[in-house]
Amino acid sequence: MNINDITQMQTFSSGINKGIEQKAPMDEGSFGNILKDSIQKIDGLQKEADKAIIDLSSGKSKNIHETMVAIGKADLSFRMMMQLRNKITDAYQEVMRMAV
Amino acid sequence: MDIFATFKISSSGMAAQRTRINVIASNLANINTTRTPEGGPYRKKGVVFEAVPVFQKKLDSEIKRNMKGVKVVEIVEDQTQPKMIYDPSHPDADEKGYLAMPNINLMEEMVNMLTATRSYEANIAAMNTAKGMAVKALEIGR
Repeated sequence: MNINDITQMQTFSSGINKGIEQKAPMDEGSFGNILKDSIQKIDGLQKEADKAIIDLSSGKSKNIHETMVAIGKADLSFRMMMQLRNKITDAYQEVMRMAV
Repeated sequence: MDIFATFKISSSGMAAQRTRINVIASNLANINTTRTPEGGPYRKKGVVFEAVPVFQKKLDSEIKRNMKGVKVVEIVEDQTQPKMIYDPSHPDADEKGYLAMPNINLMEEMVNMLTATRSYEANIAAMNTAKGMAVKALEIGR
């Protein structure tokens, strides 16, 4: 595995993260920037889910299913991020194993 | 298209069915109501649904723009004649002794309620299926 595959991974990550309509070419953002961007989007979804739960408990929102949909979205995007993290750490370890 | 589109579509379906259940509950509660603020007996209410596209942007493909959620457009009142019952002792009876009762059939409303519940559950099933598919897709390359 070489360094280029990590950039391919970041294409993958931006493709599967919600809210990132990443049509930008890969040289526009460094790997760290894109990762930070995705994490912020996922964090946004988590905050939205928290807010939905608070709204439901305080009685401000009367729809249970809206809350559940927000929770489902946050859960799904978080799982995607965990899978991505697994892949990235695997790739990193693979690279580090290369004998110098 | 992204998985969250399914969530949005199903969520709109669920909201629409909830509105329908509310209307049906209102009909059931008022099945014997002879007096309303507008005058006359309670009139049976129904909902009108409309398909609305979930993707609005012009840049989206034709396929995406054909994906439609549902929206409650209006709540219509039944315009047929109310049922006339002969009951001179009732305070709302007219001068001939006839009482105008709402034209609500209990069995019909119960069946409508069952249908609305099943539709709600069907929307939930659709959403859970979509979520299950996404979670399974994450297992690619595990």
